[in-house]
Amino acid sequence: MNNDINISGNSDLNANLWLKFKSGDAAAFGELAQVHYRALYNYATKFSSDPEFIRDCIQELYLELWERRSFLSETAFVKSYLLKALRHKLIKESVRLKRFKEPKELSFDADEADLSIESLIIENEHLKHQIKRLNQIVSHLTKRQQEIIYLRFYQNLENEDIAQIMSLGRQSVANLLYRTIKEIKDIWMPAEFFWGLIIIAFC
Amino acid sequence: MINYRNYSVEEFATDEKFRQWILDPSGEIILFWENWLIQNPDRHNAVNQATELLLSVHERYKDDLSEESIQAEINAMVEIAEFSKNKNRLSFLNNPFWRIAAIITLISGLGYFYNRNHLAEKTEVASYASMLVKRNITDKEMTVLLSDGSVATLKKGSTLRFPNKFSGDTRKVFLTGEAFFDVTKNPTKPFLVFANETVTKVLGTSFRIKAPEGANTVMVFVKTGKVSVYPKKEYETLADEDDHEVSGVILHPNQQVVFNKKENRLEKGIVENPDLLSESAQSQELIFDDQPVAEVLRTLEKMYGIAILFDEESLSKCPISTIFKEENLKQRMNAICQAIGATYEVVDGQIILNSKGCSH
Repeated sequence: MNNDINISGNSDLNANLWLKFKSGDAAAFGELAQVHYRALYNYATKFSSDPEFIRDCIQELYLELWERRSFLSETAFVKSYLLKALRHKLIKESVRLKRFKEPKELSFDADEADLSIESLIIENEHLKHQIKRLNQIVSHLTKRQQEIIYLRFYQNLENEDIAQIMSLGRQSVANLLYRTIKEIKDIWMPAEFFWGLIIIAFC
Repeated sequence: MINYRNYSVEEFATDEKFRQWILDPSGEIILFWENWLIQNPDRHNAVNQATELLLSVHERYKDDLSEESIQAEINAMVEIAEFSKNKNRLSFLNNPFWRIAAIITLISGLGYFYNRNHLAEKTEVASYASMLVKRNITDKEMTVLLSDGSVATLKKGSTLRFPNKFSGDTRKVFLTGEAFFDVTKNPTKPFLVFANETVTKVLGTSFRIKAPEGANTVMVFVKTGKVSVYPKKEYETLADEDDHEVSGVILHPNQQVVFNKKENRLEKGIVENPDLLSESAQSQELIFDDQPVAEVLRTLEKMYGIAILFDEESLSKCPISTIFKEENLKQRMNAICQAIGATYEVVDGQIILNSKGCSH
């Protein structure tokens, strides 16, 4: 398991921060919460398009950790644990809020708005084209496949963490990921050697 | 040194060093991969594909959350965490011995505290645990519903702290920045706004407060009803209700007061800019002609960003015609409820509409 205790990248700083948090230092709590805030927010936007709702959920998630700080181990602030907890909360809260309507199960659903290639700050036409194509391929994947691609390549999580978050077996994740990547590759023509790309990447 | 020679596209795309080069390149990293590519020209394809994969996934799933928004959220959380700490000091109660000791102390102290209850309410600290903080980091105005049905319209960058549910014999909220308040009448429970060293007390009225963070002045503008404003110091030191009138200033409609922090002085005047008396700078006119109530409610829901819960089915046959001009959310809800014979309550910042449907 990716029980990377080193939450923020610098272990000395981290140990210190952790002790402060445990002793009830609210500022230390804020620093810990900041480490994965964006990752959490980004993940939540794939389930809800309501920023206010997302902020409330993340706030609640962190404040619950704060309330239980004396019983927590550092793993509570590990990215994959936070993502999993947030996923649960988003689903639970949205069911509660919509209690008058049909409770619909939340699912991973990234904004399907067409990727405007013009917004890319990449000058290279070939690269732009490839990115657009890849995006089209990804958008035709199932929601589960999209989520797995997202967790693996956007959030950069290990298979084991993905299994945790998506409540799947480890082997299922490995299979699904393998299948998904293969599906992508089959459609996605191998990129020709393109020196320009390398130059752009350096800029 | 990791041997990248045999890395697959996926391995490149999930390698921290590779990701840094593509997503957040800096001098040393760029140099490393530049050299590596020169030494491994046959791996260009894999590198290109990994680059494309990474960039398209990041392009696809990126968010538009600004660093300032994150900071504002973190600050709000730290603030709440700070408040809830007082409550958590009682966590020693998890130990059975202390629990018994505490119960004994509690019982013997009860009689005493019973009499002092009134005073304890004034210091408030105990109920901070259930305080909510709303910070408006959007560009638009934000409507905040309070548990008594009062409505606060927060300007950009302003923060309002308020209890989940008003308890005790006052309704206290804490403001930083600027907001317009429309307070539900309740003569037995005065509504108090704490802002930058001032306390504004009302029983039910509408008014605007401007209390920019760190500024030396606080301004209060009254639209309807009567408002009293006090310097906070005076408000807190004077225990007797009647004494408040001495240090405070009473404002009537179209009057304003400017509080100077340095001199601890309140200066009364007439509101010169009538815009300050409207709830919102963008008060929109809405016309509904024989529209289903559900649709009207949904429009309001969107406009104020507040969830309105109602039973679709029983309201599906209730058309209403109305024109909204300068009313605020509360007045609009009242008008709708009156028209269809419904009532509403505010729970957890949402409006819940109770209706038996319409017979006609």
